[in-house]
Amino acid sequence: MLLKDQVALVTGGSRGIGRAIVLALAREGARVAFVYKGAREAAEQLVAEVTKTGGSAVALQGDVAQADTASRIVEKVLSDWGRVDILVNNAGIIRDGLFVRVEQDDWDAVIDTNLGGVFQFCKALAMRMASQRSGRIINISSVAADFVNKGQCNYAASKGAVNSFTRALAVELAGRGVTVNAVAPGFIATDMSEAVRNKAGDLIQKMIPMKRLGQPEDVAAVIVFLASPAAAYVTGQVLTVDGGLSLGISGP
Amino acid sequence: MQSKEEIQRKVAAVLVDALNVDEEEVTPEARLQADLGAESIDFLDIVFRLEREFGIKIPRGELFPESIFQGDPDFIKDGRVTPRGLAELKAKMPFADLSKFEKNPTLEGISDLFTVDAIVNYIENKLQAA
Repeated sequence: MLLKDQVALVTGGSRGIGRAIVLALAREGARVAFVYKGAREAAEQLVAEVTKTGGSAVALQGDVAQADTASRIVEKVLSDWGRVDILVNNAGIIRDGLFVRVEQDDWDAVIDTNLGGVFQFCKALAMRMASQRSGRIINISSVAADFVNKGQCNYAASKGAVNSFTRALAVELAGRGVTVNAVAPGFIATDMSEAVRNKAGDLIQKMIPMKRLGQPEDVAAVIVFLASPAAAYVTGQVLTVDGGLSLGISGP
Repeated sequence: MQSKEEIQRKVAAVLVDALNVDEEEVTPEARLQADLGAESIDFLDIVFRLEREFGIKIPRGELFPESIFQGDPDFIKDGRVTPRGLAELKAKMPFADLSKFEKNPTLEGISDLFTVDAIVNYIENKLQAA
């Protein structure tokens, strides 16, 4: 087991990519606390699933867009488990729409969750990780930060900011043995991408050089790598996990 | 009230942990940056650990005043600390020994004011005031 006895904190952990991350980290021996916003049942099922396989997980309710959520959650994890070794900022939302129709609320919700959540949780843990001279921060970004789609100004802006934030924080924490990286998934088969997938149908699969959608497990495996000792010298990077989607248009 | 020796011992322990240095290196005159290799984030960590160790609150900029470092033309000119800047430093850092620095107040020299002894003095003053 690569992460035996380590403590991981995953936001947006109950569903989609986050769920796969929780399972993968737990499988490698980490104790995993994860944050969920509304999917209580899914969260409880996930805790049960991890526990059944001999792992250790706890679900904590909270909205990462709220300013006090991170400090509350971090305090809780620290009081229960004493430390946090791995932070995975995974919670993210979309509020797609052509820019001229994007309302302030759509903008705020996406920025506050996707970027604000990253800020809050990093803020709550960075000094502590620096102090313990170890730590892994992994932010979930998106290929949509650089390879943009219509209707995603807010989403692309939030993920582009996460990439820049990742590099900037990496430089500050590098001397303290804390790495900060991002993972940029392409099209992954989750609830979040369902609407887009339904609309585009087979077209998406044809666009992806690997000719298949990514699975949450494809992303989770990269998170495990970045959290593991093997990635000790990797920091400030945005690792794309997209089956080649961002390389360009894939011909017949 | 803790004795000066006690404070010295605790401050040294904090610095050993925060800077990953050997105890022998932490002499009273040792400079945090030049001798003990402290980087920007290390200063925050030192504050963080001192607060915990001594049960005190250290307001931002009190132990390591930042205002002087921001290149304010009133305080720093051509890489040297102006008389006004020097007065500011003295006011902000009553716990530091500026006697040597005053003779050649260069910008780079400011970091040399942060010595182990300066921290001990700071903590001592702080605990007395409490």
